[in-house]
Order: sequence, then structure tokens, then C-alpha cells
Amino acid sequence: MKFFSGRVSKAILLFSCLLLLMVPVSHAADYDRILTEANDAMAIGDLPAAIALLQKIPFDEKDESGAFSRSRMQIARLQFALQDFAAASAAAKEVLAVYPDHSEALSFIASVQQEQKPRYAVFIEDCLRFLPQLLKGAVMTITLVFCTILVSPLGGLLIALGRLSSFKPISGFCWFFIWLFRGTPLLLQLFFIYYGLPSLGITFKPFTAAILGLGLNYSAYLGEIIRGGIQSIEHGQMEAAKAIGMSNWQAMRRVIIPQTYKRLMPPIGNEFIALIKDTALVSTIAMVELMRSADQMFNAYFNITALILAALIYLLFTTIFTFIFEKIEIRAGIYENR
Amino acid sequence: MKTANQPLLSLRGITKRFGALTAVNGVDLDVCPGEIVVIIGPSGSGKSTLLRSVNFLEEIEEGTICFEGSEIGYVKSKHGRRHLDTPAKICALRSEIGMVFQHFNLFPHMTVLGNVMEGPLTVQKKSPCAAREIALDMLAKVGLSEKRDVYPATLSGGQKQRVAIARALAMRPKLMLFDEPTSALDPELIGEVFDTIRALGKEGMTMIIVTHQMGFAKEMADRVIFMEAGSFVAQGTPEDFFANQMEHDRIKSFLNRIL
Repeated sequence: MKFFSGRVSKAILLFSCLLLLMVPVSHAADYDRILTEANDAMAIGDLPAAIALLQKIPFDEKDESGAFSRSRMQIARLQFALQDFAAASAAAKEVLAVYPDHSEALSFIASVQQEQKPRYAVFIEDCLRFLPQLLKGAVMTITLVFCTILVSPLGGLLIALGRLSSFKPISGFCWFFIWLFRGTPLLLQLFFIYYGLPSLGITFKPFTAAILGLGLNYSAYLGEIIRGGIQSIEHGQMEAAKAIGMSNWQAMRRVIIPQTYKRLMPPIGNEFIALIKDTALVSTIAMVELMRSADQMFNAYFNITALILAALIYLLFTTIFTFIFEKIEIRAGIYENR
Repeated sequence: MKTANQPLLSLRGITKRFGALTAVNGVDLDVCPGEIVVIIGPSGSGKSTLLRSVNFLEEIEEGTICFEGSEIGYVKSKHGRRHLDTPAKICALRSEIGMVFQHFNLFPHMTVLGNVMEGPLTVQKKSPCAAREIALDMLAKVGLSEKRDVYPATLSGGQKQRVAIARALAMRPKLMLFDEPTSALDPELIGEVFDTIRALGKEGMTMIIVTHQMGFAKEMADRVIFMEAGSFVAQGTPEDFFANQMEHDRIKSFLNRIL
């Protein structure tokens, strides 16, 4: 402790000597003594005493020695440490009275104001700061989700019908398709499409690659779900349709597939909710969507609020989907109500 | 050439196998226009399979099916192997032969009217207006006009079967096949379905009916056929059949079991 205070005071002494050479001698010696004593008080942890000492340096309009502004900034910092934010900013404002553009004082007052705000105000401010960027990302996420929802049920239906086909090459191909896209990670598929295919001379824009990857992957999953749905319709329905003269395709379109809607809604709703979250994977192929935006904000400000907001937006999306699918399920099964 | 006595449907040597099991074994049958043929027999005797073969829901291995004098449904490939005709031809043939199933098989996602309209609308490509008119006619015929806008789930079994009959009739078939139309019904609901079938018979509809209802067979049939193990064992007019064929041991024991 002694060694430390000795070294600090030595440094202050040296500094004061330098000042002595530059400023009129009149008050300099007094101020030096005060600063030294204040430093000693700080060194033993007596902050109020240090403040009292520093207060002794009077207001000086010209402040040629700089002692006044330095003392008030020091007071401001000490008051801040003592959590007396009003006194801290008052001290910094005294500096501004002499130097209106004093940058240290200005930023000090700003950060005191920030500190004085309630936590929720800080959170709201962060939200407002991050939201525009995150919403842009969210729009991209929703775009990806909707494009995939447009593409994958059609793909899934084709895969399902293909699997049920009695023509071996088609059912074999569909089996292979499902085997491939269900058996490898979506992340790998996206990488392959975006980074791998260019080496074969096929290049996609990130958005196209993303839709292609998500579409193929989800077609494979939906294909199996739809096949299960079709096979769950009792055999008599197909026979009755055929008995009145319908072709296979007419029977599928008019009789079998419409009856699968209600049964398909829960698993397909599940898949689409998984899809909302899986779109986060396309951030790895140069797409800026919600997850990527949140990540950027988080890295730029090291502020967890960005991640919380992103989570809330994802939850909002999945909640909306949950309700939509519950409604569709009820409507699709309206004929079962007695 | 068509003559008055020419059978509407003529089956020769119909044989259907499921693996090692021969479900129908070389059956011959002629059905004249307006005739009502009732087929009885123990379960597993091939009655339903025979009926389904006529509608090509089962593909037969041997035999020929003639409808209105021409052989239908099967063609021979270059290598001499027989197989079902093109799907389009089969669909066209089916639309001339109506079929009613044991379990009704109504389309649950369509209203009663929708079920009956479906054939004219989708298969015959009639306009919705025309299809609706036909459907309303048929529903009136089976006495269910007031149920036209409800879904099948709200109907009783007897009502469901009558809607199924109306659905088949809407295609204006020349022949109706009934595959145990009352077997899935509660006893008190059987009457209304048979009333509907009886009315059809009075109009001169040609019908083949597989049933276990002997009373109905006695009353309605022009001919009763007893089938067992894939073959016709005996046949005759109801009077003849129930009076004389009863001598037949197998028929006797069958009738004793179900009566």
C-alpha cells in the first residue's frame, strides 16, 4: 500500500513539475498540493475526502493551468463511482461552463444519463435500435418460408404419388429421392447446392439455392407424410370411386386426396414450424435473414437484446402458424362433425 | 346381332385365383335384361369375388365377360398373354355397371347431393346444373331428397346405403351389382334398403344381388344361385330352389345355419 501510494505521488510530483514550467507560479503550488492530497485520499480509498479536497480548487473562467477542469472531471468520476449521478453530472457541467466543447465532459454526461435510465428504457432503446435491421431479416425469413410452402407440398405430392406408382422406375426414383434428402443434413445440402454445384458449372444465386435446398428437403419429408395420408384412406373409397367409372387420377383428385387434408394438417403443421426455424440455416450461404441479422447485431454491439428480439420474432411466427393450422384442421374436417 | 333373348351379361369360365386359392372356379352365368339374380352361399365361397370381377375390381385369370353381346375388358398382347384393357376403356365399362358395396363407401367429404352428383359431374363431364338435376331425381327415387345437404356421417346405415344406390343409379347403369347390401345394417334398417331395391326391380333394372337374406331372395329373385367353393352348386327359380334344391345336403345345412 505504501509502495503504491509512494509511486503514485512520485508520478504526480513529476507531472506537477512539468506543469510548473508551463503555468504562472501564483496558484500552481497550491493546486499541486491539493491534487497530491486528493490523490493520497483516493489511494487510501477515502473518496469523499478526495472530493472535498478537489472542491477547493475554485472556479476559474480562464483555467489556464487546466487544474480546474481536471479537478472537476475527477470529481465527476469519483461521484460516479459513489453512484451520485446528479453530483457527477453537475461537476461535468461545471467543466462545460468553461469549455463548452469539452468532449470528455460531454460523453461523460451522456453516459451518466444512460446509467440513470431504468433498465426497461434501455431495453426499449436497444429494441428500437435493432428492430429495423431485424425486421428486414424477418421479411426475408418469411419470404423463404412462403416460397418453400408453395413449392414443397407440390413436390411432396408428386413424390408421394410416385412412391405409390406401380411403375418401378418412378417409385424407385422417389424412394431414392427421399432416402437422399431425408438421410443427409439440410446444412450439407445447402452447402452442396451453393458451394458444391458451381464446381460442376451450375451456379445459383443465394436465394435460389436456399429455396432449392429447403424445397427439396421439405418435399422429401412431406412426400412421406402425404403418402401415409393417402394410404390411411380406407381401400373402399378407391373402389367406390372406380365403380362409378373414375380413372385413377380422378379418384385421387376428387376422392382420396381431399380426405387426407384433415389427417395431414397436424404433421404438415409440424413440418412448417420446423421450416421456420430451419430457414436459419441458410444464413450460412450468404443469405441475410432473421438469424443472420440478429447475429450481426449481436456481434456489432455485443448486446444480447438482439438475440432476445430474434427469439421473440421466431416465436411470433411459430405461434401464428400454430393457430392457422389449428383453424385449417377444424375446417378440413368439418364433414366429420355430426 | 342383338335379339330380345340375348343376355345382357354373359360370363363363361370365369376363374380367379389368389395365389394357391381358387376363389372363383370356371363359372358360367347368363343374365337377361330385367332379370334379378340372387347369389347365396357361405362366406368365402367366391360370391363377392365373382361380382367384383364383373366390374373389373378383380382381374380374372381365365374366362370371358360379354356385355350386350360383345366381349369386354380383356385384350391379348402380342405374346398371347391376356391383360386388362386400357384404363380409359375399363372406366367406360364400369360407368355402365353400377355397384353397391357392403360398407356403402360413401365419400365422407361430400354432401349427400355431392356424392350422387359426383359420377355425372366428374366421369360423364356433365354441367353442374345437369348433374344436380340427375342427382335430385335419384335422391327422390330412394326417398332421401330432404337429406341432400347433409354429410354422410349424419345418416343412419340404411340411409347411407340408399344414398349409395342413388350414387350408382346416377350413372344410368344398365346392370346393378349389389355386394351384400344389407350385411352391415342393423336388422330394423334392412327393410328400407330392400324396399329401394324392390322398386328398382319393378322398373325393370337388371340386377345381380349377393345376400344372406333368404326372405328377400324368395320374394324378389327371378333366379336363385347357390355358390360354394368358387362354383355354382345349384340354381333355379325361388319356388323351385327352396322347394326342391333343399334336398341338396350342403344347401340344407347352409340354410339351417343362417335361418
